[in-house]
Order: sequence, then C-alpha cells, then structure tokens
Amino acid sequence: MTPLDAIAAAIHTVLRDTGRDARDVSAGMLLAADLGLDSLDLAQTIVLLERSLGVDPFRAAPATVPRPPVRTVSDLVAIYTAALNQLPRTTP
Amino acid sequence: MTTGTTGTTGSSTANAAANATTIAHLADAPAEDRLAAAIALVARQFPDRTAIVAGGGGEARRVIDYATLAAAIAKLEGELAAARPVGIVARAKRVESLAVIAAACGREHVPVAFLAEDARDLVGELRDWVPLDDTLTLPPAAATGPRREFETVPPQVVVATSGTSGPPKLVDHSWDSLLAAARLAEQWHGRGWLLVYDATRWAGLQVWLQALLTAGRIVAPVSRDPDAVARACVEEEVSILPSTPTLLRRLIASGDRSLVSALRLDRITLGGEAADAQLLSQAKTLFPQAKITHVYATTELGEVFRVTDGEAGFPAEWIGRPLPGGVRLATRRDGELLVQLSRDTAEVATGDLVERRGNRLEFTGRRSDVIVVGGAKVYPKRVEEVLRGVPGVADARVYGLPSAITGELVAAQIVVHEPLPAGTTPDQVRSAALAICRERLEPHAVPRLVDFVKQLVTTPAGKVPRR
Repeated sequence: MTPLDAIAAAIHTVLRDTGRDARDVSAGMLLAADLGLDSLDLAQTIVLLERSLGVDPFRAAPATVPRPPVRTVSDLVAIYTAALNQLPRTTP
Repeated sequence: MTTGTTGTTGSSTANAAANATTIAHLADAPAEDRLAAAIALVARQFPDRTAIVAGGGGEARRVIDYATLAAAIAKLEGELAAARPVGIVARAKRVESLAVIAAACGREHVPVAFLAEDARDLVGELRDWVPLDDTLTLPPAAATGPRREFETVPPQVVVATSGTSGPPKLVDHSWDSLLAAARLAEQWHGRGWLLVYDATRWAGLQVWLQALLTAGRIVAPVSRDPDAVARACVEEEVSILPSTPTLLRRLIASGDRSLVSALRLDRITLGGEAADAQLLSQAKTLFPQAKITHVYATTELGEVFRVTDGEAGFPAEWIGRPLPGGVRLATRRDGELLVQLSRDTAEVATGDLVERRGNRLEFTGRRSDVIVVGGAKVYPKRVEEVLRGVPGVADARVYGLPSAITGELVAAQIVVHEPLPAGTTPDQVRSAALAICRERLEPHAVPRLVDFVKQLVTTPAGKVPRR
C-alpha cells in the first residue's frame, strides 16, 4: 500500500465513523476546506495510519522541532513517505 | 499438607446453630487468636466439613476440610514456637496455605506479610523475615536465625496496597484492624463465599478470613473466566458473592446463561470500583433474592460507607452531615469526594469524582482516569455506560490514547454478545455504537478508535485499567 492509498483509506474511515459521506481523496485536496477534517479527525487519521503503516511521525518528532504545516493531503503523503524511508530496512 | 477429594459441602443450619454461641464469643478472644480458634472449633465438632474448595468449576478441584486445616495450623505453630523467626513472608500461592500461615502466625505472635505478585520487590523491606511457601516448612536457616522476644512486639500483619493509585507499598495492620469488618453473627455462619479476589490482597484477605471465622466455605474458582466462575458458584453452592463491578458485569454479560440463572445468591457485595445503575438493575433482575451492597473504601481510609438500597451512587443528603460512625463527606468544586473519618482526623481527598443526578451523588470516575481531548474533559465511565446500552454490546472499556494533535483521544474496546443475532455483523455493531455515541455524547467524547476484543483486560485486583 502506498502512503497515499493508506491516507485515503484512513480518511474514509474517519468520515464514515463520524457519520459523514465518504468521498474520493486526491493529493491536492485541502484537509480542512475540501475534506472537512478538524483536529480531532486528523488525530484519528494519525492513529489509524500508525496501525496501517507502522509509523507515527507526529509522535516521533519532539514538539520543539518546528514541523511543516499540514494543510493538504500531499503534505501528509510527504511526511509519511519521509518517515517510512527512515525506518531501518528489514531483510526478508 | 494433604488434601482430600471429598468433603461435606452444603451448609447445615443445625450445625451452624450449634456453633452459633461459640462463634459469637470469638470476638472476646484476642484478635490474633481468633482465626486459629475458629478453625479449631469447627474441626473439633465437624472435622470433615469443607473449609476450602480450590480450583472450583475446573477439572481438578481440591477440597480441604476443617480438620486438615487445623492439623496443619497446629504443626506450623509448633515449628514457629521452636524457630521464633522475626517475621514470616507468606510466599504460598494456595489459599489453604495462606490461611494456615495466618492462623499459626497469629497464635504465635509472629508478624506475617502478604505480598501480592506485583509487590514481591518490596520483600527487601522485610529483612530477616523468613519466606514460607506451600510446603509450609520453615527453611532450616530460620532455626539458627536471629532470635527475638516477641512478647514485646505487637502482633501485626503487613499487606501490600493494590497499586491502583501509585506503586504498591507495604502497610502495617494490627490483627484488630484486619478483622474489624468481620461479621460473627449467626446469619453469617456456614455460608459459601466466592473468592474471586487475589487471596493476598486486602479485599481477598477480608473474604477468606470472614469465611473461616464463621465455619464457612471458601470457593476459589479455577480462573476468572465467567463460565468457570458461574460453574464454581453453582456446583459449590455459593450464596455470598463479593466482587468488583467489572467481574460481576463480565459474569452477567458473558457467563453461560443456564449456569448464571442457576445461581442462588443471598448477597452480592460490590467494591473496588463504582457500580453503575445499569449493572445494579441487571443484578437485581437476575438475582431477585440477593441483597446487593456497594462498599465505598479507599486504600488509605479502609471502608468509608456502604450503600444497600440498590441504587447507583449514594444519597445526596449524606454530604455535609455526619454519618453513623462519625464519617463526614464533602465535595470539592470540581466534584472530588472528600472524606473525614472522624473529628480527630484530617479530611482526605479521595481522587473519586461525583456528580449530582436527582437526589443521588453518582460516581463519574477517578480524577486520574479523566481523558483530556483538546482541553475538554471526558469521563470514560460515562462513555462505557453509553456503549453498554448499544444492542449487541456485552461490555466496553474506554481509555485515553496519547495524541500529538489533541493530547489524548478517546479509544474503546468492545466485547460483543456471543453469538450476535442472526444477520448482525460486528461492523454493524460498531457503526451503531458510534451513531448512538454521537447522539448522546459531546463530539470530543465519541470514541475515535474502536476495537473488538474477546474479553476486557482486568488488573490483578479485578478492575478495568484506564491507561
């Protein structure tokens, strides 16, 4: 699963769980304006992604390190792609 | 010690009556002698009466009668008298061994410590005390260890706290305080007591001491699995059921239907956590004959009050005026319950939050259990109550999950009824649960992570962990 697929699936779950209609998620969408996600929705998305991708880049980074703003779906994709690339590779 | 496979279960009213006066007179004996005296009394008159059923509801149940127990106590008393250890650390796992150790140590004025599994590290504080396991044999070293005159040392019992509110610590008790709550009146004689608590903790000690002081029968189920508990209660004729609300809820929600409805309970004594209205009314419906008591106690204060009217919480009018025994209750502005045991003692903040509903004050949870989501407070007990009302949900646990965005997030574990009604899937139960939560709770209190589990985890003390 690519980070974008995982993010789209997590956002689907968040929308469905909160009684909203699921919608197609594409990289250019604004999390708040286009998808209607608030901070609680984002927090849930991150927990779901930790389960599907095995990383939580938001927890790993100390709060003192300035974090790029997370405004769009592609901001999330970039953060998770970077986090996944930092993981030690496991030999099959 | 040897254990028999037979024994007389079933209380005999005639037998109990014959003992009534003598048992009632136990209160005149020094507290440290009472346990050994009570066991010896029954052993003389009804040697083969069952004292303990261990592994109840399982394949290999052990039955220990009063004569066997009394003989083991006499033997250990002899060894203690010869060796004179500084103190005994009860390392035994079997409840019959713990009873023998307690009785013999009391009689011989040897201090005894009961350390639950999570408090074993504290043994370092009991230097020179001698460990005693299920073999009930003092190690040879004890005989040559430091000698000390015990007449000058008050007999005492050391018990570790449960560690619900902080790491476990050792607390010194006198035999008088340990037995203060025991009831010796005739109505309590010869009963079957369920022991679902850890026998080394305060709550467990209270149950088995009470049973053995009154010619009763301790029934320890083979596990806390609801079917095993129900089977043990039915097979061994348990009539008094001391439990945490969590374990009773599990028994009612997940225990085998026919076994649970075959229970013949006279009394249910709930403690350790708050009992909600839903559980109390379910228990009342299932066990109409049972008197249901809810004990409010804390580690520091012991028993503060008991509620016997079968309603959740306690009457609001109890605040601000002395209760029988001199206890005074008050609440802080944030709802935390404050307790003053008597005029001479300080007011203690309990960490328990209460909220007024009608003419009652109901417990909303521990202050430390409150989940803070983006600055807003969520009481997990309230969310659990809503979830348990969802069709298909047998039980639920709500806890806080750390979040970098909102501080914490509300998470839930759900146990579904087995089997679910035909055509219902767990996913439908999940959607229904979330829909009902959205309807009845503030948006931030609606669980954001819902997992299905076979059974909720419980702490060794039989409570639900919140973190």
